[in-house]
Amino acid sequence: MSLSKKPVGRQAPPPHLRVSGIQKRFGGVHALRGVDFEVARGEVMALVGDNGAGKSTLMKVIAGAHPASDGQFFIEEKPVSVNSPSDASDLGIQIVYQDLALCENLDVAANLSLGKEPIKSGWKFLPKLLRPLDDLEMEFKAREAIDKLQVKTLQSVQAKVGGLSGGQRQAIAIARAVGAEGTVVMLDEPTAALGVAQTRQVLDVVKRLRDTNHAVIYISHNMRDIFEVSDRICVLRHGGNVATWRTEDTTPDEIVIAMTRGLDDEATNAV
Amino acid sequence: MQSEPKISFVDRLRILRETRFGAFVPVLLALAAIWTYFGIALPFWDYIGDPAAENIRFIFLSPRNIYNLFMQSAVIATLAVGITVVLLLGDIDLSAAATAGVCAALLGVLVLSGVPGWTACLVVMGVGMIMGATQGVLVAYVGIPSFVVTLAGLLGFQGLMQKILPTGNLNVSDPFVRGFARVLLPDAAGWALAATCVLVFAFLNIRKQNYRHKKGLEVEKSIAIWAQVAFFGVLMFATVATLNSYRSVPLLIVLLMTITALVGWVTTSTPYGRSIFAVGGNQESARRVGMNVKRIRVSAFAIVGLMAAIGGIFGASRFGSVSYTAFAGGSLLLESIGAAVIGGTSLFGGRGSVWNAILGALVIGSLGNGLDLSGASAADKLMFSGAILLLAVAIDAISRSGSSSQ
Repeated sequence: MSLSKKPVGRQAPPPHLRVSGIQKRFGGVHALRGVDFEVARGEVMALVGDNGAGKSTLMKVIAGAHPASDGQFFIEEKPVSVNSPSDASDLGIQIVYQDLALCENLDVAANLSLGKEPIKSGWKFLPKLLRPLDDLEMEFKAREAIDKLQVKTLQSVQAKVGGLSGGQRQAIAIARAVGAEGTVVMLDEPTAALGVAQTRQVLDVVKRLRDTNHAVIYISHNMRDIFEVSDRICVLRHGGNVATWRTEDTTPDEIVIAMTRGLDDEATNAV
Repeated sequence: MQSEPKISFVDRLRILRETRFGAFVPVLLALAAIWTYFGIALPFWDYIGDPAAENIRFIFLSPRNIYNLFMQSAVIATLAVGITVVLLLGDIDLSAAATAGVCAALLGVLVLSGVPGWTACLVVMGVGMIMGATQGVLVAYVGIPSFVVTLAGLLGFQGLMQKILPTGNLNVSDPFVRGFARVLLPDAAGWALAATCVLVFAFLNIRKQNYRHKKGLEVEKSIAIWAQVAFFGVLMFATVATLNSYRSVPLLIVLLMTITALVGWVTTSTPYGRSIFAVGGNQESARRVGMNVKRIRVSAFAIVGLMAAIGGIFGASRFGSVSYTAFAGGSLLLESIGAAVIGGTSLFGGRGSVWNAILGALVIGSLGNGLDLSGASAADKLMFSGAILLLAVAIDAISRSGSSSQ
């Protein structure tokens, strides 16, 4: 089998999230053919592959958006099951989609607490949806989240998202995903549509996520970003694993070859 | 691209509309322009042009006319508040006026057959909600565009109203129903109400400011707070003074304001209202954070249905009769959608407020009233209303294109 599964070696940190043998079929299409993947806390794991390699499918499986046809999930080596987005978010797995899905008509604070708005205590006689929002708490939390990620240039959490730059929006989408309980954060092409300065801003935010002991899964096509920000690189091809490298042991050329041709026999530096 | 002043004007417009009270500015300006024209400029013009006149007669700005203006605009405003809620979702309701017509007709028939007034009102409000919610189900669960569903509703309900009122006209003399428009608050009660509103408004603002200070959040300049309170106070007291000097504050207006305050509070300060804005801004985003978009949509349509029913009750109360042309067959629908849009609620969803709908209704009402007073024909009225509506949507489109370009 050319789609050999390379076990991860001894140098790897103990994984926080591990999936193994993930299969996914869409009708006749066999999108994932038994993928193994893992990410540790305090680590940025890059997930790369050519178009159609199965990156996005794997990500959606992990996020619970597409339940896996077969395979196992482990959090801290305890088996868990993820069949829906809410399963995933209960386990602290969060995803930032490429389109960000922010409400441009709402301000930063409202976007950050969307769907889990704090409500004032008391008012028990009203149904939950009609109790008064705690705007101040919302703003306070937003302030905290933004400060934690050190999003520079963002003046006010009362600013409407529609007026922000691409990098700021990306940072806000990430801040929303991380929230209070997020431990695993998946980023889908976070810098694809950004300029140089904006990209820098987002990469800084990703590094801050690592420093705050999050497990970050970083999907990208941009080798420069990947080599700047990641600790390990996992390459997928035709819905299967090629191998996983430590970023410091490999080169962009090697990764590109692995993405397009699969593993060369002489590649011995893979983990 | 050297046209910098132009860009900065559009930008300023956009920035203005993003602020909390800035959204009121365009519609207030429109209102001020219309009132100045009909209230001051036209009487002056007549006075100068007619040597026989002894003194200037400010008919438009007379307390009596203002009173009538408020009453005329009340039904439009009620519907506009409801329509604003669906507009916030990015949907539209073309059937609101027809729903109001069916509800008013049903109310007339019910009280005629001896049902007590308050029971009839409750029944009619329930019927309105069901009519709205049914359309909401078709939009949300079946997936038909709201324009089509409510267009069908418009036609169907017009027919239904004619079925209920074969003669096309029915007098309503039930004292409870007539009471909404007839009962007037004593002068003192009007003053007390205005004072209470201003005090509560000031108290809430100052308390909020103090909390913000304590939590170390951004605080508004205190002069801005006091300016808001002062502006609100002047508005309230001027209104009560004007209404008192003709008759006094009618119950209808108090009810309308209470309902609007309630809907306004629900849309801006509750998780439900936040979800309406979220769906209007980005439906996919709302869905991903776990909001039940379909149920929100149905409930919004139920709210329009309810508001339409209340509008029907108010209309029946004010006219003392229910007629086909006053509701389903007349210009009520377009006037109320126009009021919501002129108020600054975006047709694209996610932006607007019910208070703006009230102001928009006043703009539409003032325009009609002023043109009537100056002897304009129905044709002129329609053309003027069209122009104002177009202007309002143009402002919306310009400020929107400004915000989405990065």
